Amino acid sequence: MKTRLPEHGPLETPRFWRTLEERIESPEAQSAAQDEFLPGAVPSFDDVHGLPVQQGFSRRDFLGLVSATAALAATVGCDRKGQGTVVPYTKRPVEVVPGVANFYASAWQEGRRVYPVLVKTREGRPIHITGNDEHPGTKGKTSPRTMADVLRLYDPDRLRAPKLDGRIQNWAEVESRLHAALVAAKGAGQSVLLVTGAVTSPSRKALLADLKAALPTLEHLALEPAAGDAAEEASRACFGQAVQIQPRLDRAEVILSLGADFLNGDDPEALGAWGAKRRLKHAKDVINRLWVLEGPMTLTGTNADVRIPVAPSRLGALAFTLAKELAAKGVPLPAGTDLSSISAGVPAELREASKLWADLLQDLHHAGRKAVVLCGAQMPAEAHQAAHLLNAMLGSEALTVRPAEPLATVKDLEAAAKGMAGGRYGTVVFWDVNPAFTFPGTTTWKDAVAKVPFRAWIGQVEDETAAQCQALLPENHWLESWGDFWTEGADVLQQPTVGTLYDTRQGEDILLGAIKALSGHGLGNYHAFLLDRWQRSLPAGTAFEQALHDGLVKVAAKATPPPFKGASVAPAARKAAASRADGLELVLFPGFATFDGRHGNNSWLQETPDPITKMTWDNPLSLSVQDAKALGIQEGDFVSLSLDGTTLKLPAVIQPGQAKGVLSLALGYGRGTGGVAKGVGLNAYPLMGLDPASANVRQGVRLAKAGGRKELSRTQSHHRMEGRDLVRSLTMDEFEHNPKGHRHMPELVSLYEEQKFPDHKWGMVIDLAACTGCSACVVACQSENNVPVVGPEQVAKGREMHWIRIDRYYEGELENPKVVHQPMLCQHCDSAPCENVCPVNATNHSPDGLNQMAYNRCVGTRYCANNCPYKVRRFNFLEYTAYKTEPETLVNNPEVTVRPRGVMEKCSFCVQRIQDVKIRAKGEGRSILDGEVTTACMAGCPADAIVFGDLKDPKSKVAQLVAASRAYRVLEEVGAKPAITYLADLKNPPLNAASNRGGHHAH
Amino acid sequence: MGRVTPGGLDDQVLAFPETKPPKQWYFALAITLSAMFIGLVCIGYTFVTGIGAWGNNSPVFWAFDIINFVFWVGIGHAGTLISAILFLFRKRWRNAIARFAEAMTIFAVICAVIFPLIHVGRPWVAFWLFPYPNQRALWTNFRSPLLWDVFAVNTYFSVSLMFWYLGLIPDIASMRDRTTSKVRKVIYTALALGWRGAATHWQHYEKAYLLLAGLATGLVLSVHSVVSFDFATSVVPGWHMTIFPPYFVAGAIFAGFAMVVMVLVVVRETMQLKNLITDRHLDVMNKVILAMSCIMGYSYMMEGFTAWYSMNEYLHHGFMNIITGTYGWAGWLTISCNILIPQILWFKKARTSYFWMILVAIGVTIGMWFERFVIIVISLHQDFLPSAWRIYKPTMVDFGILLGTFGIFFTLVLIFARVLPVIATTEVKAILPDAQPSHHGDDHHV
Amino acid sequence: MAAQDRRPFTDRLAALVAGPFLLGQRALALQWGESPGSPPEPPPEPPARLSLTPPEHAIKRRG
Repeated sequence: MKTRLPEHGPLETPRFWRTLEERIESPEAQSAAQDEFLPGAVPSFDDVHGLPVQQGFSRRDFLGLVSATAALAATVGCDRKGQGTVVPYTKRPVEVVPGVANFYASAWQEGRRVYPVLVKTREGRPIHITGNDEHPGTKGKTSPRTMADVLRLYDPDRLRAPKLDGRIQNWAEVESRLHAALVAAKGAGQSVLLVTGAVTSPSRKALLADLKAALPTLEHLALEPAAGDAAEEASRACFGQAVQIQPRLDRAEVILSLGADFLNGDDPEALGAWGAKRRLKHAKDVINRLWVLEGPMTLTGTNADVRIPVAPSRLGALAFTLAKELAAKGVPLPAGTDLSSISAGVPAELREASKLWADLLQDLHHAGRKAVVLCGAQMPAEAHQAAHLLNAMLGSEALTVRPAEPLATVKDLEAAAKGMAGGRYGTVVFWDVNPAFTFPGTTTWKDAVAKVPFRAWIGQVEDETAAQCQALLPENHWLESWGDFWTEGADVLQQPTVGTLYDTRQGEDILLGAIKALSGHGLGNYHAFLLDRWQRSLPAGTAFEQALHDGLVKVAAKATPPPFKGASVAPAARKAAASRADGLELVLFPGFATFDGRHGNNSWLQETPDPITKMTWDNPLSLSVQDAKALGIQEGDFVSLSLDGTTLKLPAVIQPGQAKGVLSLALGYGRGTGGVAKGVGLNAYPLMGLDPASANVRQGVRLAKAGGRKELSRTQSHHRMEGRDLVRSLTMDEFEHNPKGHRHMPELVSLYEEQKFPDHKWGMVIDLAACTGCSACVVACQSENNVPVVGPEQVAKGREMHWIRIDRYYEGELENPKVVHQPMLCQHCDSAPCENVCPVNATNHSPDGLNQMAYNRCVGTRYCANNCPYKVRRFNFLEYTAYKTEPETLVNNPEVTVRPRGVMEKCSFCVQRIQDVKIRAKGEGRSILDGEVTTACMAGCPADAIVFGDLKDPKSKVAQLVAASRAYRVLEEVGAKPAITYLADLKNPPLNAASNRGGHHAH
Repeated sequence: MGRVTPGGLDDQVLAFPETKPPKQWYFALAITLSAMFIGLVCIGYTFVTGIGAWGNNSPVFWAFDIINFVFWVGIGHAGTLISAILFLFRKRWRNAIARFAEAMTIFAVICAVIFPLIHVGRPWVAFWLFPYPNQRALWTNFRSPLLWDVFAVNTYFSVSLMFWYLGLIPDIASMRDRTTSKVRKVIYTALALGWRGAATHWQHYEKAYLLLAGLATGLVLSVHSVVSFDFATSVVPGWHMTIFPPYFVAGAIFAGFAMVVMVLVVVRETMQLKNLITDRHLDVMNKVILAMSCIMGYSYMMEGFTAWYSMNEYLHHGFMNIITGTYGWAGWLTISCNILIPQILWFKKARTSYFWMILVAIGVTIGMWFERFVIIVISLHQDFLPSAWRIYKPTMVDFGILLGTFGIFFTLVLIFARVLPVIATTEVKAILPDAQPSHHGDDHHV
Repeated sequence: MAAQDRRPFTDRLAALVAGPFLLGQRALALQWGESPGSPPEPPPEPPARLSLTPPEHAIKRRG
C-alpha cells in the first residue's frame, strides 16, 4: 500500500473513513459520501423509485446477465442425443411426394417360381411388398420370403463397390480385368463357365444367347439347389425335357400329395385356390379332399384330410401300386407303360390302414380328371415319375405342365468341378449363386475352383463363393433392377422401385458390357435391351408404359404340355419295387426361412417361426416320436448325425407325425458369411447325395446322442390344447349337423358400462379352414409395423416381438396327430382386461373399436400383458431398435412409431391403414367401402383366411361371416368380448375313415 | 440385569448408542453393506440395459420384481400390527417390542417401494403413476389396481413413519438430555422437536399416538388387501380369487412376525435385552405365528377347493401346477415351510426354544417368499392359451437385487440399533410395577 | 396454479446450479483444457446418410 496519506490533514478530516478516497478527500468520494446509493447499486433505468439516472453497469444487471449466461450455457449443454436435422427437398424428385406412398408393380423370382409384386415406397424408399393384384394366377398374393426380401435391399452387409483382389476398385478397372479374361479365353478357345440361377426370364435368356454368340466357348449352368434334382431327373425321363408344374387346385376335387408341400406359402396360387375351396359357407358347398403320404411332417401334411406317414423312399412304390390298381379298375395306362415289376394289392406300409387305401383308390378313380397327384421336389425321382404317370392316367386337369429351361443337377456340378480341376476353364463367373456353400463336397469344389485362373462373382453380399473370386462385382437388388419373366397367363415385368443405393449394377448390365467387349457391339444397358425386345413383342395397342404400370401383359396360355413317355416308367417302377425303407432315412429340404441359404442374412425370416416346429434361428434335426423313444433322445438334446463320413452335431426336435425311421433337416443354414447368417444353424448340404435321383433323400444314416442340450429358440413350447376349446375343428358331417357342438356359454355380465361405437366397429374374422399356417401374415405384419427382431437368445427366453403368431396344436396320438393352426393376435376386446389395469391409461379403447396403445404414455408396468388372456402383448425387454442406423432404418414404415425399450406393444389392426382410408374417404366425401381397409396380415394372407371390416355395417363381409354357423370366439367365457371371430377348421375325411385318425373329434 | 427400574432402563437402552460399537457390529455392517452394494450395482445394470436383464419373459411378465415387492410389504406388516392394533387392544406386552418392530416396518417398506420404481420398463417416467396436474391433461386410470397400490403403499409408509417418529420423540429427548457428545446433542435436539416432557406435551402426544394408531390399524388391513387386488381383480387363473385380501393380510402378518422374531432373538442376545424382551414375548409372538400358519393352511385348502368346486378348467390346471407342475417343488416348499414346520409351535418348549423358533422363522420367511413365487410365476407361466406357456428362469441380476434388498434392510436395522433407542423406554416405564399402583395383574409385568 | 409457480423456480434453480458449474468448467478448460486426457482420435463418424434417388424410367401404379 503505497498511497500517500496527508501527514497533517485539515481539522475537518474525519476521524473515520470508509474508503481511502474518502480519507484523502477526493471530490468524488465526498459527493459519494452524501449519496445513499453508490454507483452501480441500482439499475440505470430505475424510474420506479425516482432515483437519479446513473452511468455504467448496475450490480443487478450484472447478476441478471450472469444468470442469463448461465441459463443459456445450461440450455446449450442440454443437447438431445440423436436429434436429427429436418431438411426439405431443395429440388423435389418428380415422383416423390412426402407423406404419400407410391406403388410400383414389379416382380422377382425365387428358384423357378416368379412372384409378381406391388412395391410400396415412401419418400423413395421401398418399404412393403404385396402381390400384384393384376396377375391372373397369384391374384395379389405372394410368399412370406418375397415380402421379407425388401429387408435384403437394406442389408448393411451388401457389397457397395466392386472389389478386385480383395481391394475396393472402380468399375472400369474391375470390368477391364473381366473383359480381358473373357477375351483371352475366347482367343485361346478356352471354356468359360457361367453359373447362374434358374432362367425364367425371356430377356435374360436372349441375353445369354447373345453372350454365347459372342463367346462360343461359354458353358452355362443354371443352379437351383432347392429345386430338387430328383424332380429334374424325373421330368427329363418322363417328358424328355425340363418342365415346370403348377398345381391348379381350383379344378381339383381330390389331391394326393406324395410329400409335396404345396401349401407352405411358396406357391400363392395354390394357396389361393386351396383357401377358395375351404372357405365354406354351408355344409353342402363343394370341398376338396387332401390325401397326404409323406415322411416328414410338412405344412401340407398338417392340413391333410387324411395323412399317412410313409418313408419317402417308398413313395414311388406306393404310387406305382396305385397306378397298377387304377389300371386294374379300367383306367388306361399311357402307351408303352410297363408296370410288371409292381405287385398289386395293399402295400406293406398300409396293411393296418387297408380301408384308407381302398378309399384313396376310390377317390382317385371317381374324381378322374378332377384328381391330381403332386410330388414333393425333394422326393426320389421314382416318386415323381409315378406322380407323372398317375396324372397322365387320370388326365388331370388340375395342373399345368410347362416346358422350362433346364437346371443343372448335382451331377452337372460335379462334372463342372472335374472340368475346373482339370484346367478346362480359363474363367468362371458366378452370378447370384453360391456353389461353394451348396455343393455337397465343399472341399472338392473349392479345390477345383481354385484351379481356374480367373474367377468373377456377381452378387449382393459377399458369400462363400465370393471368398474364392478375384473380381467381385456388386449387383443390384431386384428392387433396383429391370427384368421380365414368363408366368402362366402373363408376361411379367420387373422394374426398379428405387435408384441404386450403392455403386452397384445389375448382373445383366455386366454381361452386356462383356458382350460389347467381346463382339464390339451391343446395347448400352439392360433397360434398353429389355425395352427393345418388349417393344418388338408387345401386342398391338399395349404401350410399354402401360405394361410397366400393370407390371405385366396378360397372354393366353400357349405352351402345350409335353407328352408323357410311357416307356420311361419301367426302369423307375423296377427301382421303386426294389426300394426298402430300413434303418434311418434323412430328408433334406429347403429351410422355411433360408430357402437354399440365400435368405440366411434376412433377420425377419430367421425370426419367423418355422410353421411346424416353431423354431427360429436354427435348423434342428426333426425325428419321429418312435425313434426318439428308441434312442432315448429328448427335445433339445444334441445328437450326432453321420452319413458318408460327414458328421453333424446338432440339436434334436421330436416331431409328432413324422414317419418312423425318417429324419428331416433344413438346408440353407450354417452359412459362413453374413452378419446375420453366420453361425446360425448347421450346413446340411454336405449330407446331400451326388446321385440326382435321390440327392435329398438319403439312406444309411447313423444317429446317436451326442451329450449336452441346447436351449431351443422356439416360440411355442407346449403343443397340446389340454382339452380346451381353443381351435374348433369340424368334420363335414359335424359341420352339417352340429356345428356349435355341445357347448354352453353362460351369460356374461359386466359391472362396467358397455363400450359405445358411434360410427364404426372394426372387427376381423379368421377362417381356420382356409388358414394353412404358412406364416405369410407374420412377415407381412413385421414389415408393415416395424416389428423388431430380437435374436435367438431372446426368442429362447420368450421375448419375441411378433404382433401376430400362429399357434399350432397337436391332437390325438403323437405318431400321427391331427394338427391345427390358429393365427393369434390382439383380439381388440370390447371389455379388454388390459385396458382396466393400465395405471396410466396408455392402452385404451377407441370409439371405432380398436384397443389402442399410446407408446409415449406407456411406463412399462407390464400389467396389461399379464392380464391379457391371449398373451398377444409384446414388451420391449431391451432396446431392440434405437441403435440401428442407415441403411437398416430405411425399411421402417414411417407411419408406425418405432418403439423404444420398456414399452409395451401389440397389434393395432393396422390403425395407420384405417386412418389412411378414412382420410381418403373423407376427402372424397363418401363413406368407407367394405373391403377398402385391409390390414397387412389380411393383404398378405394367400388363402384369404383373414377378413377385416366394419362390424357395424350389416352388409359387410365380416359382419356376415360373424353370423356363420362355424363362427366362435376364443376364450369367450373370460368375458373380454373379443372383436375377432374364428370360423372352425374343417376336415373332410372319407366318411368311414374318421375312426382311423386318433383324437379326431371336436369338443 | 434382573429387575427393570426406570433408571436402569434408561441406562440400559438410552446409553447404548453412546457406547462404542463392537467389532462384530462392524463385521455385520460390512456384510450387509456389501450385499446392498451388489444390489445397487444390479439395479444400475437394469437401468442401463432394461428389464431384459432379468429373467422375465412372455408370459411371466412379473417375477422377482413383484415377488420381492409383495414379500417386503408383507414383512412390513408386523410392525404396524404390533404397534397399532395391539396398542388399541391394550396388549401391553407389545410395548417392549413395538419400537423395533415398527422400525423394521419402515425399513421393509423402503425395500418394498424400490421395486415398483425399478420394475417399470421406463423408470424415468415412473412418476406418471401419480395423478399430478399437467399441461398435457393426462390423467391416471383409477380403475387400475396398480394405481391403488401407489396410494396404499405411500399412505402406509408415511403413516408408519410418522407413527414411529412420534413414538421416538420422548426417547430422543431423553437421549438429548443424557448425551455428552456435542454432535449427538445437536442431532438429538433437532430430532426431539423441543420436547420437554411437559404435561401438555404428554397430553398431545398421547392423543396423537392414539389417533395415528387408529389410522395405522386401518392401513394394516388395507395395504395388503390392496396389494392383493393387483392379483384378485385380474383375469389370470390363480389370481382371480375373492379369498385373496384376507389371505394376503394373514400371510403378511405371518411373514412379518417371523422376521421380527428372527431379528429380536439376535438383538436381545447381542444387546443384552433379555430382561426387557422376555421369553414370554417370544412365546406370544410364536403363538401369533402359529395362528397365522393355520389361517394360511386354510387359505391354501380353499384355493384347492375353489379350483375343484368352480369346475373351471384353467383354475384347476393352475392348482394342479402348484402341486405337480414344473414348479411343483416351489409349491411343496411353500406348503412345508408355511404350514407343516410351524406346527411344531403347538409345543411350549418349541415356542421358547431358540432353535425351533429360528428354524420356523427362517422357514416362514423362505416359505412366504416362495408363496409369492407360486402365486405370481406359477399362475403366469401357464394361463389360458397353451401356445403361450413358457418356463421362467431368473438371472443373476434378479438374485443380486433380492440380495441387495436384504442388504439394505439389515444395514438399516444395524444402524438403527446403534443410533436410536431400540426399546420405547417411555412406554415400558408406563407398565413397570413402579409406575402405577399395583393391582397384581399379569399385564404389569414386562 | 402449482405448475405456474413451480416453473420459474425450477428454472432459477437450474440456472443457479448449472450456470456457475458450466462457466467454471469453461474457465478451467481455458487454462487446463485440451491437455493430457484428450482422446488421440475422434470416434469414427456415423455412416453418412444414403442418398435415395427415384428409379429411372419406372412407372408407378398409384400414389
